[in-house]
Amino acid sequence: MNYPSVHLAAEPSLDAFGTDNGWVIALKALLVFVFLVVFTLFNIWFERRVVARMQHRIGPNVNGPFGLLQSLADGVKLALKEDIIPKSADKVVYVVAPALSVIPAFIAWAVIPLGPVVTIPFTDIRTPLQLTDLPVGVLYILAVTSIGVYGIVLAGWSSGSTYALLGSLRSSAQVISYEVAMGLSFVTVFMYAGTMSMSGIVEAQAQNVWFILPLLPSFVIYAISMVGETNRAPFDLAEAEGELVGGFHTEYSSLKFALFFLAEYINLVTVSALAATLFLGGWRAPYPLSLWDGANEGYWPVLWFVGKCLAFIFFFIWLRGTLPRMRYDQFMKLGWKVLIPVSLVWIFGVSIVRVIQNEGGVDQQTLLIIAGVIVALLLASAFIPEKKPADEPAEPAGDFDAFAGGYPVPPMPGQRLPDPVVTVPADASQDQPRSDARDLDAPTNEEQSRG
Amino acid sequence: MSETPATERAADLRAVTVGIGDGAAGFGHERGGGVDLATQDMVLNIGPQHPATHGVLRLRLTLDGERIVTCEPIVGYMHRGVEKLFEVRDYRQIIVLANRHDWLSAFGNELGVVMAVERMLGMEVPVRAIWIRTLLAELNRVLNHLMFMGSYPIELGAITPIFYAFRERETIQQVMEEVSGGRMHYMFNRVGGLKEDLPAGWLGRTSAAVAAVRSRLPQIEDLVFGNEIFRARTVGVGVLSPELIHAYGVSGPIARASGVDLDLRRDDPYLAYQELLDDGVLRIVTRSAGDCFARFDVLLEQVKVSLDVADACLTRLHELPQGPVNVRLPKILKAPEGSTYAWTENPLGINGYYLVSRGEKTPWRLKLRTASFNNISVLPQLLEGRVVADMVAILGSMFFVVGDVDK
Amino acid sequence: MTPELVVFWLLSVLTVASAVMVVSTPHVVHAALWLVVTLGAVAGCFLVLTAEFVAWVQVLIYVGAVVVLLLFALMLTRSPASTTGATSRNRPVAAFAGFSTFGVLAVVLTSGFRGIVLDLDSQPDQLGGAAPPERIGDTRSVGEAIFTHWVLAFEVLSVILLAALIGAIVVSGRVRDRDRQEAAAGGGS
Repeated sequence: MNYPSVHLAAEPSLDAFGTDNGWVIALKALLVFVFLVVFTLFNIWFERRVVARMQHRIGPNVNGPFGLLQSLADGVKLALKEDIIPKSADKVVYVVAPALSVIPAFIAWAVIPLGPVVTIPFTDIRTPLQLTDLPVGVLYILAVTSIGVYGIVLAGWSSGSTYALLGSLRSSAQVISYEVAMGLSFVTVFMYAGTMSMSGIVEAQAQNVWFILPLLPSFVIYAISMVGETNRAPFDLAEAEGELVGGFHTEYSSLKFALFFLAEYINLVTVSALAATLFLGGWRAPYPLSLWDGANEGYWPVLWFVGKCLAFIFFFIWLRGTLPRMRYDQFMKLGWKVLIPVSLVWIFGVSIVRVIQNEGGVDQQTLLIIAGVIVALLLASAFIPEKKPADEPAEPAGDFDAFAGGYPVPPMPGQRLPDPVVTVPADASQDQPRSDARDLDAPTNEEQSRG
Repeated sequence: MSETPATERAADLRAVTVGIGDGAAGFGHERGGGVDLATQDMVLNIGPQHPATHGVLRLRLTLDGERIVTCEPIVGYMHRGVEKLFEVRDYRQIIVLANRHDWLSAFGNELGVVMAVERMLGMEVPVRAIWIRTLLAELNRVLNHLMFMGSYPIELGAITPIFYAFRERETIQQVMEEVSGGRMHYMFNRVGGLKEDLPAGWLGRTSAAVAAVRSRLPQIEDLVFGNEIFRARTVGVGVLSPELIHAYGVSGPIARASGVDLDLRRDDPYLAYQELLDDGVLRIVTRSAGDCFARFDVLLEQVKVSLDVADACLTRLHELPQGPVNVRLPKILKAPEGSTYAWTENPLGINGYYLVSRGEKTPWRLKLRTASFNNISVLPQLLEGRVVADMVAILGSMFFVVGDVDK
Repeated sequence: MTPELVVFWLLSVLTVASAVMVVSTPHVVHAALWLVVTLGAVAGCFLVLTAEFVAWVQVLIYVGAVVVLLLFALMLTRSPASTTGATSRNRPVAAFAGFSTFGVLAVVLTSGFRGIVLDLDSQPDQLGGAAPPERIGDTRSVGEAIFTHWVLAFEVLSVILLAALIGAIVVSGRVRDRDRQEAAAGGGS
């Protein structure tokens, strides 16, 4: 990938960062924080309204215009609830876990580009609409979000509850697996963009097409793994309410629970923003709008960016409203046996294409067709049913004891009730049982005959 | 002095009950690769307050990781001693108790009691009452099945289908409420017939409701049955063999999903079912797979059949001349001495009442055989060796009502 | 002392202190958490040394995956709250092994890298006219170093990891086989 020789005027490059003075940095950090909190409140309302509409309901519509203040009211209510620390909890870890979950969610936004270089109103300071950027910006986001797993794992472990522990066990395995698939889906983007910096990737898509077009398989893999990474339905195994009650946050209440909630919704926005940045051209205006020259200038791009994020969030909500939850092993199988191998082969194919292109060889069309065929074959192979494991040998029918489990059970197929044990003395065994039966039946028979 | 041992014990307790040791402490079960790699089994209590148990069923699971090693259903949290209470109520009062154990099929429950008493008295029920009873029993079956068609996807994590199911329930519940005054516990049966005749115009409104439900049923079908994940979660999961069904006395849709073709509406006809069967309106739905999907599928098909049966009953009621819907009873109703067993095909399975009378105004004994109790008893056989997520899928597909288990 | 140096020293102290906590705390899960602090502080050291790529990879792999897997294993096996599991009678031996490894590494590293100074402010070579200034420690320089100078070590490491992978599969498969045999034997008796 050649670096563009001329930087567009509004285009922030890596050189544009690290030149802000102190108060600009503080202001930008504060704005990112406020944006995330407000956007979370909005998203909770948005999710409730959209899911309600999908379920023939109305959803929150009382507090504030269109019920927009409902999440704020819920947040205040949550903060006023009693904060409970279970007796069997590991107190320090229990208290630290929510913070470990929410802090990485916030700091991941340090490198998300919200717009081009703009002038701060009432000053002549020009600064990019991005807190900072790193040459390895995407890697930074991956690393920081992977720290967020600790919040979930430790919350589940420290609660001292079996439900929570099972939830955190599931979650740790899930997030690690899907991080691999997620990281692999980025590799082709890096190859096309030639950089790992977030602003650089946006810039590369301005030169080229949006990466969703040439890298559609990567985008699909990312879209699946981002749902897995954020523990959202249909991959919300860690907090499956039908199975594990609340999963890792079963024992949490009050503000600590609110922090988990906040972290989940910020992560939702983070992965959406990442998807928009890596595959949908970041803050750049979509096609018809991009014909207008001013579309990529000033503060307008923030609007496009938020719009793209909201599209992804709607996708998340739609999934939640539609799909049942996957089973843990099916989910892991999807991750390890479908997404990761497909990613690897796709990366292999893309790198071959890139090398040949750079060498100036075969034309792109044939290559794309070949790559498409290979991917199609691979996808098809993923749906070939696996060889079923051999059936476990049936339990040999042993002696049957109806009361072995503490309460009577009938004999299973292959089992046989043991012969009744005679407890009466041998000499009386001829008559005694029959006379007993007669005694029991006698009153009823008599009464019936009388009636 | 007395403080120290208590705090020490608390400290000890904490050491063993945190984390995975919770409940597994002292269990002594170790498995895996040798001493170093040994993992401890943990005990997980599903219920009595757990979203998957619809009430207060409790399952005591021993888990190896996520795999269920043993399962022990613990019942009785909702035991109300209803059989004992029957013995001190007269036959009119019993109905109000009897319709409560399975709160999703109240009409079917009432039916068994009144049928038992009518049989003891040798009473002929007016033909109009028979057809109305059949109609209401089938509508009640639809209500019951819709409930489970909504709640089962919720257990699998799909939150939307229940709202579709409840919209249909509401449509039918409206006509049920109009005729009986109740939404759950109808109390519309009386010994010898029904409480009162149908309201004017009710038949037309019911026809409309049935048609509306039938027209919207494909929406639920599309939402749930076509779903790839739903199939992956249910097909081949929790397969119940006919042998197990015979061993445990499982009945109803669950048994028919495993190919055990027993339906009392056909095999021991009561009400107007024989005629409906001869007309070909009443079909008995069976499946052979015996897995969760088949059980759910039977439910959907039964809803369709029940709607057809309801339609047939409605046409018949239109044709029937006006007439009495009940029999005039003496002030003090006494069943003659003797005993009888009345069983009906309740929505969830065989519901039986064994009535023993000594000629008094209360029964000497009224034994209740409920479907859910037997259906739940088979759970340990199905759950052992499955994972926790399957536990929810299987538990939900056993279609039980806790009141029906605990009586 | 420049601010960078102060931060570096603070991080170093944090690294060593938390490393001591890892081996001294009796609680296994707490030890794993202290390990997170150690690894995170090492990543911080890398950052101060301008090795951004390595720093974030360190966080991603070690903090985000390795220790999480460790915790996963700890939770799955014995009761993690028990304080008895982590104590060992081999402390002196372990201390000896640790210190000697530390000594060997320290000697090798100091003798190997003594006197090498990386000039961070100069911008060495411009690849083409408009290429961005190459930075020490960024992806490109790390990649070039691995695939030119250290390619043998890289390949050897890959083979070792592959061997470990296959070993893990074999070991877990064997355990399963034995379980099955035991189950068959137990059921038959």
